[in-house]
Amino acid sequence: MNFDALTIVYILEIIVGGLLVGIGVHFVPVGGAPAAMAQATGIGTGTVQLAAGSGLTGLLAAGLMMSVTDNIWPILASGAVGAMIMMDATMMTGGWIYAYAVGAPFASAKVNYDPITGYSQPPYVAPGTVGQGIPTVCFVSGTIGAFMGGLGGAMIYYPLMMTNHNPSLSALFAIGIFLVNAVLASWNIQGTIEGFHDPKFKRWPKAFRSCLVATLILALVAVTITGGA
Amino acid sequence: MDALSMGLVAAMGALATVAGASEDIESDVGSQSNPNSQVQLAAQVGNPHRIYNKAISGEPPANALWATTAAVVAYTLITKFAMPALFAIAIGASVAALFNGVFSTSAYFGRNASQRRFNQWIYLDIVRYTTTSIMAHAWITAFCITCIAYIQTQLLTPHHPFPMPVIALIWGLTVGAIGSSVGDIHYGGEREFQWRLFGQGLNTMLSGQIVRKAEAGLRNSIDNAWFCTKLGGPLTGLGFGLTVFLDNWRTTVFDPVTQAGLAIGMGLLFVILMNLYNFYVETSIRKKYGPYPGYKGDIAA
Repeated sequence: MNFDALTIVYILEIIVGGLLVGIGVHFVPVGGAPAAMAQATGIGTGTVQLAAGSGLTGLLAAGLMMSVTDNIWPILASGAVGAMIMMDATMMTGGWIYAYAVGAPFASAKVNYDPITGYSQPPYVAPGTVGQGIPTVCFVSGTIGAFMGGLGGAMIYYPLMMTNHNPSLSALFAIGIFLVNAVLASWNIQGTIEGFHDPKFKRWPKAFRSCLVATLILALVAVTITGGA
Repeated sequence: MDALSMGLVAAMGALATVAGASEDIESDVGSQSNPNSQVQLAAQVGNPHRIYNKAISGEPPANALWATTAAVVAYTLITKFAMPALFAIAIGASVAALFNGVFSTSAYFGRNASQRRFNQWIYLDIVRYTTTSIMAHAWITAFCITCIAYIQTQLLTPHHPFPMPVIALIWGLTVGAIGSSVGDIHYGGEREFQWRLFGQGLNTMLSGQIVRKAEAGLRNSIDNAWFCTKLGGPLTGLGFGLTVFLDNWRTTVFDPVTQAGLAIGMGLLFVILMNLYNFYVETSIRKKYGPYPGYKGDIAA
């Protein structure tokens, strides 16, 4: 392979994509297992799983767009929008269960007032829990997280495709790089976070540094694999 | 946009809705994922039970495995043995269901055997009639997702560049993520703890105190599936159906080559509408339910 200026651009794109995924995970409101019992605010699942679900839906959209165009902008936008649709559809239908099956109002236990709507939170937090459901601030934060995850996934996929021209190889490698960054970020927030208003969000510089190192190594490996194409 | 493509996107949406519903019910009848932490805990806090206990892994990797297995088998049969797609996908889903059965049974035996010291029994009748139900639901999920992957790669224009198994892997991960985020709440937040006060999340003090008695006799996982089929399953289906349908609808109605901007703009419109709708739901339930009566803080509701 030729290690030219274009390759360095591709490596940089993969690194930026990995960082977007790593930081994007911090925005996704996940409450882990307790949230599935309406015991904590956020979506009742694991960080990596939800981030992967949305980011990879974005990757599918980006892959489809890249099969018809080489222009990077529609590919990135398509990835971001695909991920946002998945995340919002999930949060919306999950919210219905909190609202109409469990019968609990949405409330965050990390702030006294929702930074977006200004709604008071503590009176609506059920006794013995740390909030429940997906208040507006968490929903918006989740949408931003999905945007960054989808954008990041597409930004990893694009340079890989330009290098090896093999959609399946690029997709699998993109999934791998995506998961590495999502897991690193998940360790940083210890599995649960409510969104950008959560005090844990301030830990993002640590994830930034670790994702930078991990993605740099992965990017160097990724661009050398040309897939025999 | 042509009529065939639109019909295919509608079929994908319908298949995704069925896949989502069956995925959630599979995880409820087998007790997988987040709410299973309470089933696992129950015996340890002195409540041995007859609920199936199989947390093979998180739902997304598990469903990615079933869907990918089905897709790999189907893809091989279609390409190397020229088998009709429908039969090939059905055989693929059957292989995935067998895998599911092996994992489920070993998970049930392993988990319950490890809880012997807490007086938790292994019930062979539960294994006999619940495992087949779990496998049947896994079959439906794997079949529907492989059908979606087949439509995307072979029928829908433009054909998706990813091979069938990779698309099945991604949709498997996604359906697991949605099932784990949506349907699980109905199982964990509602069905497992029906004797506590309605209208609130689970108080931490009550962890592990799951309901063990059924409408008649002792509760088992088939009872849980019956309950969760009413809301958790269908809403999971709706979530996954919306994801698949809306995502593909915009690139089918608008040509991705000449109208890429419109396709992306339409996606953004959906996202904005869903954000506004959640705000409406939040506002309406705050008004309807009001604050919790026992609240003693100084922040006004």
